[in-house]
Amino acid sequence: MLTALRLSLLCLGMLLLQLTLFSDVRIAGVAPELPALVAVMSGLLAGVERGSVVAFAIGLMWDLYLPTPLGLAAVSFALVAHALGAITEDLFHDTRTQMVALVFVGSAAAVTAHALLGEVLGQQGLLSESLPRIVLVSSALNALLSLLIAPVMRWALTGRLRQHANRLTSVPRPS
Amino acid sequence: MAVAQRSGRSRYRLALLILTAVTLLTLDFRGYGPLETAQSRVRDLLAPVVSALDTAFSPLEDAWTSVFSADDLRRENAELRAALDEFRTADIRGDADSAAYRRLVEATGVTYVADVERLTATVISNAVGNFDDGVITIDVGHDDGVVPGMAVVTAAGLVGLIDIVDAGRSTVESVSSPDLVIGVRLVSTGTVALGHGVAGDPSKFVLEGGLRWPETDDIGGMPEMGSAVVTAASSRYPADIPVGRVSAVETGEAVLAPSVTVDLVAETRDLGFVTVLLQPPVDDPPPAPAPPFQEVSP
Repeated sequence: MLTALRLSLLCLGMLLLQLTLFSDVRIAGVAPELPALVAVMSGLLAGVERGSVVAFAIGLMWDLYLPTPLGLAAVSFALVAHALGAITEDLFHDTRTQMVALVFVGSAAAVTAHALLGEVLGQQGLLSESLPRIVLVSSALNALLSLLIAPVMRWALTGRLRQHANRLTSVPRPS
Repeated sequence: MAVAQRSGRSRYRLALLILTAVTLLTLDFRGYGPLETAQSRVRDLLAPVVSALDTAFSPLEDAWTSVFSADDLRRENAELRAALDEFRTADIRGDADSAAYRRLVEATGVTYVADVERLTATVISNAVGNFDDGVITIDVGHDDGVVPGMAVVTAAGLVGLIDIVDAGRSTVESVSSPDLVIGVRLVSTGTVALGHGVAGDPSKFVLEGGLRWPETDDIGGMPEMGSAVVTAASSRYPADIPVGRVSAVETGEAVLAPSVTVDLVAETRDLGFVTVLLQPPVDDPPPAPAPPFQEVSP
């Protein structure tokens, strides 16, 4: 129950940061995608099952403010979080470099999946010439921000700020 | 065994999430009222928090902006843009007052813009994400009488149409959006056409067909370069709002039908204020003028 509350607070906080601070603070005209960052990190830290649910929830919250149809970001993020969780489930990744690299790849996948699914559903203009720039810059920003967000994410999932195990996924997964 | 069970359960949960998303997408595409109301309520609930945080973060945002673009340059740019808007409007309105336009107005009996009530709104945010370049949020909503589909303009011309309306704020879909189709009139030929924005280029608008659309070899039916384009009286929106000027006409054997490219006159980015025309969109466009010869039914 407490975990759900902490995760809700985290998702809300990230959404509000995206809507306020990061609507203006951009690099090369591109903002970080904090909702995608939360989705990717939940896939990495919370595992396949919980991760995909958290990713779906933050995607749905993000959908409320996007001109794309409701559910598009939610399903894109859930798919990416599920895939990341499944791929990294039995891997040891105890370094920050590995986490940053995984967040970069995951964010790129989430943003691309959002654009691709949107085009499939008839939303025009998502697959434009600027897509590679958006994917690269937002993923790079997300990768950097993951260093700040990771402790908050761990706190939301476990109630502790510090990592106690030698693997990134210090959160016990259901067996 | 445990791994297989876990894998099966996670797939089952993912399938449920996908099913939920598909349901939401279907309801959204069908414009299901209660879902839209629920979304609007959530945004209304968060609106004060977003406003407060926006104010709190504004020094940081200003500092960021001042690092990457000098304040003086921005101010000068805004002044120049306002002056340019005035010139463009005067120019296009002059064309729209031409004899051809007067004839069309007399024929349809419609003069929307002069009588339309207006509401000035402040732009409170531009795009919040990376895929909504053409979307702006303004500080008026259904409490102020705004409804979806109303036209949003500046001194230069059409900026876009009201898309989503909450209690105290609305989002505007830009005229440069490829998803937004608008009925326009080519002032030089009187042709009524449907146009839409171009992905990746917020300054262009393309017309690809409409009533009495010229054939590929109909050189005389093509609009003049630089001629004005305004909203059509037969569209769902007020007529005579400047949209842009013809900048290119693509014709020839390689294309099925001529397409006309228009340079939009109104800026759709970095806006401070806009005007909302408080006329709800017309579901049934005004009837076309009666044909000179009535068909006689057998």
